[in-house]
Amino acid sequence: MSFVIENVFDKYTDPATLARIVDYPNVTAMWRECVRQYADLPAIDDGRAYSYSELDDLASKVRGMLEKAGVARNAKVGIFMPNSVQFVYSFIGCSTYGATAVLIPPQLDDVTLFGFSMKYGLDALLTVEAMLPKTGVLATKRPGFPVLDAGNPGEDRATDLDMNTDSPCAVMFTGGTTGRSKGVILSHRAVMRGTKNGCYGYKEVFNQRYFIVLPMTHVFGLIRNTLTSLYTGSCLHVCHDNTQMFKEIAMFRPTIMVLVPALAEMALNISRQFGRNMLGADCKYIICGAASVAPYLVKAWKNLGITLFPGYGLTESANLVSGNPDCLEHPDSVGYIYSGMEVKVVDGELWLKGVNMLDGYASEPEEEARSFSDGWFRTGDLVRFDEDGRLYITGRIKEIIVLSNGENISPAELEATFNECDFIQDCLVYSRIENGRELLVLEVLPRPAVIATVEESLRDSFIREQINEINAKLPSFKQVNKVVIRTTDFKRSPSMKILRKQD
Amino acid sequence: MDRKQIFDKLKEILSFSFSDSSEILDKCSESSNLITDLGLNSVGMLFMVISIEEAFSVSFENVNFSSFVTVKDVIDYIEKNRREE
Repeated sequence: MSFVIENVFDKYTDPATLARIVDYPNVTAMWRECVRQYADLPAIDDGRAYSYSELDDLASKVRGMLEKAGVARNAKVGIFMPNSVQFVYSFIGCSTYGATAVLIPPQLDDVTLFGFSMKYGLDALLTVEAMLPKTGVLATKRPGFPVLDAGNPGEDRATDLDMNTDSPCAVMFTGGTTGRSKGVILSHRAVMRGTKNGCYGYKEVFNQRYFIVLPMTHVFGLIRNTLTSLYTGSCLHVCHDNTQMFKEIAMFRPTIMVLVPALAEMALNISRQFGRNMLGADCKYIICGAASVAPYLVKAWKNLGITLFPGYGLTESANLVSGNPDCLEHPDSVGYIYSGMEVKVVDGELWLKGVNMLDGYASEPEEEARSFSDGWFRTGDLVRFDEDGRLYITGRIKEIIVLSNGENISPAELEATFNECDFIQDCLVYSRIENGRELLVLEVLPRPAVIATVEESLRDSFIREQINEINAKLPSFKQVNKVVIRTTDFKRSPSMKILRKQD
Repeated sequence: MDRKQIFDKLKEILSFSFSDSSEILDKCSESSNLITDLGLNSVGMLFMVISIEEAFSVSFENVNFSSFVTVKDVIDYIEKNRREE
């Protein structure tokens, strides 16, 4: 059977809107059209509103800055800054210059940033003043390497360039199959198709107000939240401080929110606690993905007058693979496959081909070989389709935990960290829902020889204290929330490997 | 509002953070670790901080909340910042 149903989304959008959803060969073509159609409309609001024309001028100054620094048109340019208007015009400036934008997570430290610049062969870095202290190692070890302050782009301008649709547009990082960070190469063709896919399945598409709390370095934040907002002539409010998000929402009154399930759930719980819809009366849609969406969220938000659309996508597919149109009879489904994709299911695993798929992994030939079979990308997700062609995610093949906040955790990597402690003989990391909480659990088997040196009554607290200490040093999304101390060995396979499923 | 009242209000806030938390909150004390005892992840911490702002009129703007390790740290912060109002 064919899993791709052409035009399934069309009946949920009126014909006039549908006619405006068109293909662009590259970011340059899209951006020129945005500026032509929406010149004086606000494009970005970060406390001050920037029109499409202003953003265009800033993007042209970024191109001017790159040209002046002698950066080649087909160079690889790192973008290293937090969510901001500078991020948006740096990305547009970079991709319309003809360069590949390498989106570097802003939380990286100075040494890792230098490592990235070498591993991914960066030719220049666009950053902002507040991040300059983190570029010290890079500047010292690579003298002459252009580190450019996008906050002060100067007055030189340079022309844009019509890139071949298959040329690389962005490199984005994903935890992916093995948990090690990998750079996914996305062409202009893939980025543009991913951007366009975000326009289907609902009525009010153009001239909306979007709000961004997700990182712009993440595929969901960049493509669905930022680029689809620009594509549709909408205004994007950049949230500066997540703890102030509901105050900013109250002022900006977004009509579309793009959230990971954990944030959609948090907004719901806060709304319940304070007896009012914290996303505001103007919010019509929540686009939800990057992790599995609990069906109850769809119903609970519907009761507050907001339609939540569960979807499914990957960094490797430039965001959306499938999405729900505005008829959510099956809230447990991640919807229909978008056109332009080829799909097959092999031993229950979803394999993909199509215009929005990646062109490979940057500097990772082994990973590339592992992830592709005969030109098909193997997602690692176990799926089924119902008779109407809706997609359901039923599990994962690969040993990766996807938390409801969208973070990918490699249990093996975390176990290796804890196994470095001499008092731990073996350990296991897994996720579990307990009392309504999603917990990352660490089960440890103490090493008898070491633990015997601690007085018996103090052993439990000794182990917990040591683990808490290691835990506190991990990035917050990797911290375990529960520690179980075992007195018996784990269940093991005949080859003595710990079985991931212990019950 | 004394410390006990702040603690009770904090427990009430946390009871909204997940669908069923009674068992965990019964055992909650000032020395409970926010991450390993109460099971708060990064979004759970964000929920707590936003709710405290609403409930206590305390601002967390530009505060690094990874410095809050136990329930006691949170109550200390609320007490200190309420007093300064």
